Amino acid sequence: MVSELPYERLLQECLKGEFRVVNAHLPGKQKTLSDLLAEEYPHVLCRDGSTHLFKRKELKYLASLITADEQKALLLPMLLEVSAGQGEVAVICLGEVEEKVIAKILDMSITPRQRKIVLYRPQLALVRKLLRASTQYLFSPKSEV
Amino acid sequence: MPQQLLKVVRPTKIELIKLRRRLTLASRIQKIVKDRVSILILEFLQIAKQTVEIKSQLLAEFSGTYKALSIAAGYHGYIALEKELIATERDLEIAAGSRNIGGVRIPAFELKEAQGAIRGYSLVDTSSWLDQTAQLSEKCLETIVELAELQRGLELLGREISRTKRILNALEYLIIPSLQATIKYLYMKFEERDREEKSRLKRVKVLLEQR
Repeated sequence: MVSELPYERLLQECLKGEFRVVNAHLPGKQKTLSDLLAEEYPHVLCRDGSTHLFKRKELKYLASLITADEQKALLLPMLLEVSAGQGEVAVICLGEVEEKVIAKILDMSITPRQRKIVLYRPQLALVRKLLRASTQYLFSPKSEV
Repeated sequence: MPQQLLKVVRPTKIELIKLRRRLTLASRIQKIVKDRVSILILEFLQIAKQTVEIKSQLLAEFSGTYKALSIAAGYHGYIALEKELIATERDLEIAAGSRNIGGVRIPAFELKEAQGAIRGYSLVDTSSWLDQTAQLSEKCLETIVELAELQRGLELLGREISRTKRILNALEYLIIPSLQATIKYLYMKFEERDREEKSRLKRVKVLLEQR
């Protein structure tokens, strides 16, 4: 009556690996916008050893949105937290600079909730279109944004 | 489709706890994989749209460049133009790195801007037509690099979406239902055991009363 699935264990292992894969690319250390603008090839090193390359055009666009002091406070890449089972994505916002940047991109006022800015899919598409290299996804196992 | 049961060595409470843990893990992973697929699709569609835009932009730029080049050739003559262009050859510097979108490593290229670099031809002997041609060609190069990055990204994202979809389908239609079915089977087994125990006790009671 009880049947056996031979690849069941293999799939379990494969799935456990999913957690590792989706977050392996996170930066070891974020850099400020002013530091990145000063670099010849703006980049950060990721936890998996790869190099995340920024687009100078995007950095210049970001610099045009904020003041010189704020450029020293804006940490890049900005992390977009995707929580399990939610249709929304949250921008992890450590200071007011991220809030200002996102508000200017979306052209609307924003109120962070528990140091997070909630973005809906159309807003996310807009943010990713303009800041493709300056943002990174972070997959969180928690089911709350 | 009838749900397949997993192989349970012994129908015990320990097995049930293990299975319930596995079900929780599988459900959590399913949610993450689902989100990942939706993010990958969103990115794929965005990149596809951008690729189309960049491709049409590149075609327009090419046609503009060829127009400018033919005007320059008409103005200077082919032999003179070729003589000037021999000196303009230079190596391109492209910074290559990667960018990660939801676990997919996508190549990233950045053409190094040649700021203040002299194009190589004599500015005295040539006209502004040639300057315009050179300027347009440089723009074309930038677009080609951008297009290469986008097309490769599109290819890699497409491959990853189909792979992740298979995992998601395996979870949704195979692993989770079979875990649920096995857990249900174990509950039924325990209930059956309880009922057996109860009827056995009743029988023993009757036997004791008969003595």
